[in-house]
This record gives sequence, structure tokens and C-alpha cells, in this order.
Amino acid sequence: MSAPRSPAPLSPAGSRRRIGTLLVANRGEIAVRVIRACREMGIRTVAVYSDADRAALHVRLADEARPIGAAPSSESYLRIDRVIDAARASGADAVHPGYGFLAENADLARACEEQGIVFVGPRSETIALMGEKTSARREAVAAGVPVVPGSLEPIADPGALGREAERIGFPVMLKAAAGGGGKGLRRVGSAAELPSALARARSEAGSAFGDDRVYLEKALLRPRHVEIQVLADHHGHAVHLFERECSIQRRHQKVIEESPSPFLTPELRRRMGELALALARRVGYVNAGTLEFLVDADRNPWFLEMNTRLQVEHPVTEETTGVDLVQMQVRIARGEPLPLVQDELVQRGHAIECRVYAEDPAAGFLPSPGRILALRAPGGPGIRDDSGVYEGWEVPIHYDPLVSKLVAWAPTREGAIARLRRAVSEYRVLGIRTTLAFFDRALRHPAFVSGDFDTSFVDALLAEPDQGAGPPVDVAVAAAAIRAFRERRTRASAGNGAARSAWWDAGLREAHGVRSGT
Amino acid sequence: MRCVATVAGRTIRVEVRESGGRYLVTLDGEAVEVDVAEAGDHFASVVVGHESHEVGFERRPDGYRVHFATGALDVGLADAEPGVAPVPGARRPGPARICAPMPGRVVRVLTKPGREVLDGEGLVVVEAMKMENELRAPRAGSVVEVPVAEGQTVEAGAVLVVLG
Repeated sequence: MSAPRSPAPLSPAGSRRRIGTLLVANRGEIAVRVIRACREMGIRTVAVYSDADRAALHVRLADEARPIGAAPSSESYLRIDRVIDAARASGADAVHPGYGFLAENADLARACEEQGIVFVGPRSETIALMGEKTSARREAVAAGVPVVPGSLEPIADPGALGREAERIGFPVMLKAAAGGGGKGLRRVGSAAELPSALARARSEAGSAFGDDRVYLEKALLRPRHVEIQVLADHHGHAVHLFERECSIQRRHQKVIEESPSPFLTPELRRRMGELALALARRVGYVNAGTLEFLVDADRNPWFLEMNTRLQVEHPVTEETTGVDLVQMQVRIARGEPLPLVQDELVQRGHAIECRVYAEDPAAGFLPSPGRILALRAPGGPGIRDDSGVYEGWEVPIHYDPLVSKLVAWAPTREGAIARLRRAVSEYRVLGIRTTLAFFDRALRHPAFVSGDFDTSFVDALLAEPDQGAGPPVDVAVAAAAIRAFRERRTRASAGNGAARSAWWDAGLREAHGVRSGT
Repeated sequence: MRCVATVAGRTIRVEVRESGGRYLVTLDGEAVEVDVAEAGDHFASVVVGHESHEVGFERRPDGYRVHFATGALDVGLADAEPGVAPVPGARRPGPARICAPMPGRVVRVLTKPGREVLDGEGLVVVEAMKMENELRAPRAGSVVEVPVAEGQTVEAGAVLVVLG
């Protein structure tokens, strides 16, 4: 085990770096989120886009846009050389990686460091250290942070893997050493399931991270997934911004997150914050990061992994602490000292986020890419919609199906649930299927309302019959029949040539040089 | 206008008559008065009696998908012909076709022509939006044809496996 790393060194040359232009090496809602933060800070933004994203929202909102390749992410958003070329060509001082894609790729951070471009995130060596999940586990052990029982090294040989699984005891989790996000993750109940689970996990890990090494962890019973947000600057200061409860997951993908966790006691919250800071300090962490823990039924926290980047669910922390995490990331990257100390940070009220995916809950959550025919986002008090799409946009098949993150804040958890349910009922997305209908079910479920749930919540919910009233059948039939009646009539009148549209008339006027009005 | 609607497994006889901008809709003999005000191209405010509904419409080959605050319903509409009722959910006999439910890439083919498969057995793995989705046999049978290969990109609805 290596010695603790010294606190992050000040960047050279007086420690302050000017960021006038920032390139966002991402797409979708997170690219939009970063662009928004930059615009508020007076920073010019550069979007990069694949062929599938020419008309994407982040391209439309940025000050500058540069193509970086074909639609598959391996030919565009995962190409470090093209991201760096775009940054150099646009004169960008900094690169923000968002989450996913290259966000936890130490090579991008290193390439930025070598080119003198500020990477908005930790140092490349920290990304490498914590990105390899078994070395992160070893660091946690050294920092005195309890880790989920399991292997501390990747295991290549299937035979050795089987023996390790027997030693830990089934059920076990088969995990990708190179990354998280549910990719390459399989729960294995018995030795018989191991070979096929291993093949699938390796294939997924290989395609997601370009690294198919795996390791094992014991699968805890009814665990809660609770994570701690940290911020650390280049001057050795670090704070935590409390927890996010992320137990509502489907296929190991978070779907609903909230803060505070209804499960944590003040003592456990304080303890987990301290554990998170101990590990962050040990590895000399800089910028925003998240330490994920499993909390067992006896309220023991077990370190799972560290995400060395901004999290998808960062808005619930922003809403409850009042801290803009993206702006804070940029300020830290500029070399500014943290403008706040631990004692100034408090959790105010309650925030819940739903991840609205282009998936069909009525068809086993199959992806539902396609054109968004109509879109109406909710508004009103306490509602935040971090969306990456717009009406008329074609959701591409090539990327994550996240359409939007819908967040509600209220003084109490009860109030936040009521507000989020209200917002879900206002949200209309036509043309593609989304998980909104599922959220309506989840948010009114007694287990969710009482806060008594764990990571098995979604599977249990889907196994139950839906008790909701559902849409009114008679009104649906009447409305559809009237619509058909009206469409038929419109077609009939258009068919006899009498109707000519307003734009046609306007075009005729223009063609003949006739001015309309004054 | 008379038509037959199929919705949520039910068949409903519908008649629509317009009078003074409002509609009288008869559903299986029961009449309701409906007031419709269009709100943009895809939405309408629908007031039934005095009950207000915010409704979204999505065109489908056989009718509409009708969106409400509480979810959406697919309403199939067919012309009413006396004595001929549409048969909802009629099963076509013969081979079962397993089709791609979404556009994506075939990452693995788990079977081949001639093989006997069990109900629920995995046949093809299609990757879309970075997730692998295993398509399983809807019933037991023997594989007649696998017209796709690993690595191939497929459109939604493409036949992946034909089961005899």
C-alpha cells in the first residue's frame, strides 16, 4: 500500500488560471447544464457534436460548435484526439467532460494537462487511481473506510473467479474493474450462473470501457445506495455536501434520487461525510467527486466506488444546499480556493429527481428512440427540468436514452413528492415512449412515500398490479373519434381545392413583390 | 360518423354528431356531450360535461395514442360495417416472427436454424442506447430462419428470428 498522497499541489504560476472559453466534451442534458453554468459566469462555450447531433440542443445553445465525427460514440465523443483538436482549434482554455463518455478517462485529463488546457476535474493520476475500482478499494482500506467484502484485485481466470466467489459466498456481484454506471455489472446467485454472467459482464465492460477486467463483491441483502458529494480545491480544502439517496434503481441504473436520504440518521450522515473526506484527502482529490456507499439494514456504510466527476443526480444536492456544483467545478479548476467551509453548509428542505428516459415502461423498458412530436415541460414553484431535448428533435439510437431530469424541491419530503407528482402529470412527451408513467406509479407507492425502500424497490413494484386509476377510457375514445371526425372533414375540404394555406398565400404575395401590411 | 373503437382490449361502438361546435358522442348506446378546443397541433382541451381533460394526440396507423395526465391509451378506430365486428388481438396462425422492438445493433445470435427452443429461451441480443436487450422466444418451437448476423444494424420491426 502506498503512502498517502500529499494535498493537491497548487497549479504552477501563481495558481490562478483564466478560463475565457470552455469546451464541453459531451452531449445531451449535461452538455446543456455545463453551457448554462458557463453562460452565467460569462465564459464562452464550445460544443462538440457527432453527425447524429448536428441539431442537438447543446449545439444550438453553445457559442461555438465543432463536429468531431460519426454517430457511434467510439468515432466521436470517445475520441480524445478529436476533442483535443477541437479545443486547440477553438482556443479553449478548459475542457469540461460532463459525465459518461470520457469523464473518467485519465487519458483525456492527461492530454489536457500536456496541452496546457485546464481539465475541469481531478488530476489524471487521481482519475486513474480511483477509476480502477479495485485500486480505489485498496485506497479506501488504507484510509480506514470500510469496503464491501470482496476481491481487492481484478481476477482474469474463470477458475480463480469461481473459487473467490465461493470464498466470499453467493450471491456475489460481478463488477467491471474499469468503471461503474451499471455497465458490466451482474448479480450472480450461484456457481452455475457464473459462466454466462461472466461472458455478458465482460462483453458489456469491454464495449463500455475498452477494458473487460472484472472483480467480485459480496451482494449485500436489501442495501441502500447512498452517496456523498465532495468538493476539494487546489489549496488543500475539502468539504462534503451531504448525501444523495439513490436506492431506486432499475438494472443497476438509478432512476429516482433524493436528498436528504430518509434513511440516514444525523450521526450516520456525519460519519459518512467524514469517511468520504478521509478518502478524498488521502488521494489528494481536487474538484467535485462522489463517494458511493452501500448502507446495510443495520445502517453500516460500505464504500462501493468513487466517481471522479459530476454525477447525473447532482441537482438534488444543488437544490438542497444552494451550491451550483458546475460553477464550483469551474472555480476550483481556475485555482480559486473554496468559498465555503463545512460549517456553512446546511441541507435545506428536500429535493427529488426523476430520470426521464426514452424507454417504454409498458414494454419492459425497451429503448424508444424516435422523433419527439410534441413536448411540454412542467413549470411552477419548486420545479427544475434539466432537459437535453426539444420538440421536433429525433432522439438518436446511439447514446444513453436520458431525455431529461425532472427535479422537485419543497421544504419537506412529503411536499417534494407531491410537487414531483404534480410535475409528472403536467409533463407531456408525444412521439416517443418515456418513463414518466412509471414515475407516477413509483412516487405514489406506499414504500416510497414512507421512505422504507431499498435497491429491490423497482422490481417489487413492477411485480405488483398497478392500483392507479389510469387514463379515462371513455374520454379517450370520445376524443379520438372526434379527432378522426374533424380530420376527415378537413381532408374533405382540402380535397376540393377550396382551402389554400396561409403560408402559400404569403409566398405568392412575396413572389409578386406585394408587401403585406405596412 | 360511425365507427368501432378498440381500446385496452375492449370494443366500443361509437357515433359522433356535431351540433353548434359541440359534439354528441354515443359510446355503446350511451350519449355524452363533448366540447373540444384545439390547443396547438397535438393537444386539445376536452370538456366532457364539465369535466376538463388536457389531451394529447399521436397518430397511429390504426387510430390514435391519446395522452392524459395519468398516462396514455391506444385507441384503434375502424369504420363500422353492420355485422362485421373487428376482432381484437386476432392471432395469425403459422410461424412466429421475433422482430426488433427498436432500432439497434445485433450483438449476439444465440440460436440457429433447425434448433428447438423452449418458451422464454434467449434468441438474439440487440444493443440499443448502450444497453443489451435479450429477445426471448414467445413460445416453444423450432427455429426456421435467422435472417440477421452478429454486428448487423437493424431497424425497428426487422425480423430477427422466425420460429416454426
